[in-house]
Amino acid sequence: MAPVAVRPALPARPALPARPPLVRPAEGRIVGGVAVGLAAHLGLSVKVVRALLVVTTFFGGAGLMLYLWLWALAPASEHVPLPESRADGVLNASPASVAGPQSRGAVVPRRPGVPRVSQARLGDMLIGAILLFAGLSLAGARFGWDVRPGLILPVVVVIGGAVLAYSQLDEVERGRWAQRSGVQTRAAVLRVVGGFVLVLVGVLLVVVRSTDLAYAGRVFVAVVAVLGGAGLVLAPWALRLWRDLDTERSARVREAERADIAAHLHDSVLQTLALIQRGAADPAQVTRLARAQERDLREWLYGPRPDDDATLAAEVRGVMAEVEDRLGVAVDVVVVGDRRLDDRGVALVAALREACVNAVRHAGAPVTVYVESGPDGVEAFVRDRGPGFDPDAVPADRLGVRESIVGRMQRHRGTATIRSLAGEGTEVRLEIPDESPVDPSPPSPGPSSGPSSGSSSGELPGQPAQAHRPVLQREETR
Amino acid sequence: MTGNVLRLVIVDDHAMVRSGVRAELSADPGIEVVAEAGDVDGGVAIVHTARPDVVLLDVHLPGGTVRPGGSEVLQRCADLLGAEPADGGPPVRFLALSVSDAAEDVIAVIRAGARGYVTKTISGPDLASAVHRVAEGDAVFSPRLAGFVLDAFGTGAGEVAAVEDELDRLSQREREVMRLIARGYAYKEVARELFISVKTVETHVSAVLRKLQLSSRYELTRWAADRRLL
Repeated sequence: MAPVAVRPALPARPALPARPPLVRPAEGRIVGGVAVGLAAHLGLSVKVVRALLVVTTFFGGAGLMLYLWLWALAPASEHVPLPESRADGVLNASPASVAGPQSRGAVVPRRPGVPRVSQARLGDMLIGAILLFAGLSLAGARFGWDVRPGLILPVVVVIGGAVLAYSQLDEVERGRWAQRSGVQTRAAVLRVVGGFVLVLVGVLLVVVRSTDLAYAGRVFVAVVAVLGGAGLVLAPWALRLWRDLDTERSARVREAERADIAAHLHDSVLQTLALIQRGAADPAQVTRLARAQERDLREWLYGPRPDDDATLAAEVRGVMAEVEDRLGVAVDVVVVGDRRLDDRGVALVAALREACVNAVRHAGAPVTVYVESGPDGVEAFVRDRGPGFDPDAVPADRLGVRESIVGRMQRHRGTATIRSLAGEGTEVRLEIPDESPVDPSPPSPGPSSGPSSGSSSGELPGQPAQAHRPVLQREETR
Repeated sequence: MTGNVLRLVIVDDHAMVRSGVRAELSADPGIEVVAEAGDVDGGVAIVHTARPDVVLLDVHLPGGTVRPGGSEVLQRCADLLGAEPADGGPPVRFLALSVSDAAEDVIAVIRAGARGYVTKTISGPDLASAVHRVAEGDAVFSPRLAGFVLDAFGTGAGEVAAVEDELDRLSQREREVMRLIARGYAYKEVARELFISVKTVETHVSAVLRKLQLSSRYELTRWAADRRLL
């Protein structure tokens, strides 16, 4: 296939103590760089290697086969490898320097590659080559190299196909360092398929030519040997490729995690610290920022994973955090029990949010939010320590209490009760009873009626409409 | 207690928190901060040498082998926790003070012997009154701790003890008290709400604390076992 040059192009390399990897350097090559690379790898003179290749070519084409085999399997490299510095100058080789002396660049497109050939793989390759030669010489001895020139064609086709396929695999391996594009991948698939088709055609040609069954059998054995050798070479290669990809993927995951943490710290903590430095003169602002950041960071460090976001407790915490952030007042949120978030739960949280915003606006800290989801419904309380207010005195155009809280709860078949205790703040109670109770026991003056009865009896007799007015429904109706 | 002034030790690994608490409590003439410590070993040593009336204990402390560190301090000070310590001195009461929101950490410290739990966002006067309350042998429940208790005893799911003495469930009254505390009611407001005396509220709260410390309820046991408290 490729004429092997005998002329020495480089001064011989001295024998090296540690064996450099077997690569095909662009530097000093005549055809494929195999001789130069092999010489560097074996520590022999390039002249000697070339002479050996040429001489062995006349003995059944062994030299040529070895050359083609190594051409296909050894990765291309920019320079002749040095034993101590494997990656020296190779990793960063610029593509511009690739345009070196290339006589047959079409077979294997040159791209700077890192010579990553392990000794184990070389051993496998050697076994594969030996098997291949065994197969070939078996076939050769049967038919004779000179007598049946017709057989050379199929053999050449087989070899050519294998070379094509293998060169493509080489390409794939190196392509992992380069950017991979869809076109490249499609071309790669095409080439591999083409190589295999060629091999199959060659095998068929051989089988068809030898009409004798015994010959066919031997040829079959030879082909199996060839394929076995190829498989032997291919298996560890594919395995390593797969392993490399695996390692790379997990490394990428780790990297992404690290980047995630860094990005989060940057977006949150560092930004907040910068804001705090700028606003150091305003204690309220600093407190608000610190509080929001603390909650955010704690949520991020210890909080539940985002996949269980669709629960009532998570929704309450999220909405209350937003209120805290927006209004800059600490809200003490206590949630007991949990359940899946449904439409009515969303409505309850929305009403709760409105009540909380009201409390913060009109009363200020401390505001306590308590949400309890029990077996027969959800109860929520918002407690503040403000001066209290009369729900009836709220102007009609203010929709906050009337619409957002009471109306919303009503629409979702719930109740909203507002208690204003003179001098002790206001408490808004929201309740959504379950409609189809799983629990067979009917809502009785059982567990949840205790505090309710207590709160209703806290009313000041004689002036219920003034001090505290149950807006929608008295709690006794439960 | 020595005289009228209550002797307090602060165990917290953050110097800023210690100085902040010290400054806030300095407004109360009835409290004197006698010592500070920043880790488990230092905390155990200082409590034994200073013999304060109350220890403000951070839940998370460096050093030691048990997590959270606060519970190890309590375990190693167990000889001082009883009503009559072996050395004949007055008992030492612990109040947990933390930013931690993790229920299991808070419950672990309570089960190790702390008399209450307040968050670091508590105001200075509230903290001072909590310290006094603990010194008098009462339990201090913040809304958050009350919420943990309700969760841990399954009261949210409607489990209520039929007998007052049952350790694994809260009684109806205890549940009502806990719910009101979780709703942000002060003890005296709870008392008014339930038509009982403040003293009765304190009795209920102490009973709940006792159940919290002694109950073998599954959730509590699991929390404690996870923290190697059992």
